[in-house]
Amino acid sequence: MRTAIELNELTKTYGQRRGLDGLTLQVRAGEVFGYLGPNGAGKSTTIRLLLDLIRPTSGTARVLGLDPRADAVELHRRIGYLAGDFVVDGRQRAGECLAFLGGLRGGVPVARITELAARLELDLTARIKSLSKGNRQKVGIIQAFMHDPELLILDEPTSGLDPLVQQTFLDLVTEARTAGQTVFMSSHIMSEVEAVADRVAIIREGRLVATDTVTDLRSRSFLQVRLTFADPVRPEEFSVLPGVTDLVLDGTTLTCRVDGSPDPLVKAAARHTLTGLRADTQDLEELFHAYYTGHAA
Amino acid sequence: MTTPSAPSSTPSLGTSALARAFGGSLFAKTLFDNRRVLIAWALATGLLAMMYAAFYPQISADSLASVPEAMRGFGLDDATSAAGYLQGAVFGLLVPLLVVFYGAATGARMISADEESGYLDLLLAHPLGRVRLLLHRFAALAAGAVLISAAVLAAMLAVRTSAKLDSITIGGFAAQTVNLALLAILFGALATAIGAATGKGRATVFGVTAGLGVAAYALRGFAPQVGADWLRHLTPFDYYIGGEPLKNGFQPADAAVLAAVTIVLIAAGAWRFTCRDVAR
Repeated sequence: MRTAIELNELTKTYGQRRGLDGLTLQVRAGEVFGYLGPNGAGKSTTIRLLLDLIRPTSGTARVLGLDPRADAVELHRRIGYLAGDFVVDGRQRAGECLAFLGGLRGGVPVARITELAARLELDLTARIKSLSKGNRQKVGIIQAFMHDPELLILDEPTSGLDPLVQQTFLDLVTEARTAGQTVFMSSHIMSEVEAVADRVAIIREGRLVATDTVTDLRSRSFLQVRLTFADPVRPEEFSVLPGVTDLVLDGTTLTCRVDGSPDPLVKAAARHTLTGLRADTQDLEELFHAYYTGHAA
Repeated sequence: MTTPSAPSSTPSLGTSALARAFGGSLFAKTLFDNRRVLIAWALATGLLAMMYAAFYPQISADSLASVPEAMRGFGLDDATSAAGYLQGAVFGLLVPLLVVFYGAATGARMISADEESGYLDLLLAHPLGRVRLLLHRFAALAAGAVLISAAVLAAMLAVRTSAKLDSITIGGFAAQTVNLALLAILFGALATAIGAATGKGRATVFGVTAGLGVAAYALRGFAPQVGADWLRHLTPFDYYIGGEPLKNGFQPADAAVLAAVTIVLIAAGAWRFTCRDVAR
């Protein structure tokens, strides 16, 4: 399988401060890769290294098989980039800005820009300084997507977007993957990555904490179950079941955690009369929070 | 002519024809984005130069005798000829200092301001290359300097007869304004290079460049007082006006010195720019 991004012991220090500490990571061509971490974890540092805006202290990065520095111009032609804080001159109109940026890429069909603007509901004739943060972000999204790059590098792409536009954005990401494009997107919110990412990496304080598929991460999470019975039950009946932990029995209400299959618990509960059942998957936010704070199992 | 509200079969980006014409390259875009400030600089500099030049008939030798002895080096006391007067008040003081500030202010915007705002990140993420970006920006600054100098030349030619400046040839005026453009470009190169090399903010780059400009100007003025005439040759102002182009016409060697210093500054700035991290 081809590799879109390959980082090898990538390290970046700013004076005493460590931005990135020996990061090794592969992003496969054609996948949507979520890059997660709290603010200040080194997400933007990584992205700016990929774009040759900053240079590594040590270690190497290969992007689309090329060197970010030596092949910068060639690479940038094939990359779409959205910065964490998308900034352009506010005096110009959105369409003017996009036409100019397209021009720097040798021209982008006007129809492509208007199509994206229509989908994101952006008024291209509006002056950028008159736009809200969310609408400005749409300009950023369009300029990253408009030339259908092989690789999209998106730093906190959904910040400021309302939920409807967020959905449109996620559709764009899904379509990009279908078209064979690779998407590398950072976020500090799991839920916005969860919906589209094939794999995620979690970084914290410049180090890689975990990489996994979203499916595996999800399967690693447990169920939080609450059962309400018509009559009191004995705790021993349930505490011995495989995968059941943290059992609390309060009269007729039983709460516990279930790792793995819920089948034994359901079968055991079926011997009694149930008046209520509630099962929540553990919020992935919680899982990531555990990684962030360094308390993951 | 179609009305804006009419549905159009050809997609439009809501851009004006002017914006489209100037959106083709970073050079053209920079000029377009700075069109108002450039026109304001050109008009203001041209008008001020015209105003001061127009005073010439009212200037008598008496009024200039009051220039203190210590200020002789600035050349403000020669009213014996039109060229002498213009080399003092207009081309010796007002206009060169204005273009130093133009160079410092515009040069500080070429890299520093965009780096400060974060816009530089976006531009450099495009297939452009750092050196090309710098050269496009600098070319726009230089074009602005030429515009300002052209405005000054036009202003001089406009009042040449009415202000009794006929003793100066058109070639003399042209030679002096060419040097003026080169001076503006040199200080623009200095500011651009400082920003490109260091990544310092716009205010710092402007301050340092303008400060160096004023210091160099003062050095040239006071050097004869301290018996160190040779110091004058270390300042760009000496190559700008020392050869008295108003009287002697175009001085290729002086112009070459100004151009060479500019090239060295830009080359050094570009080199450092390619080596360093872009600030956030």
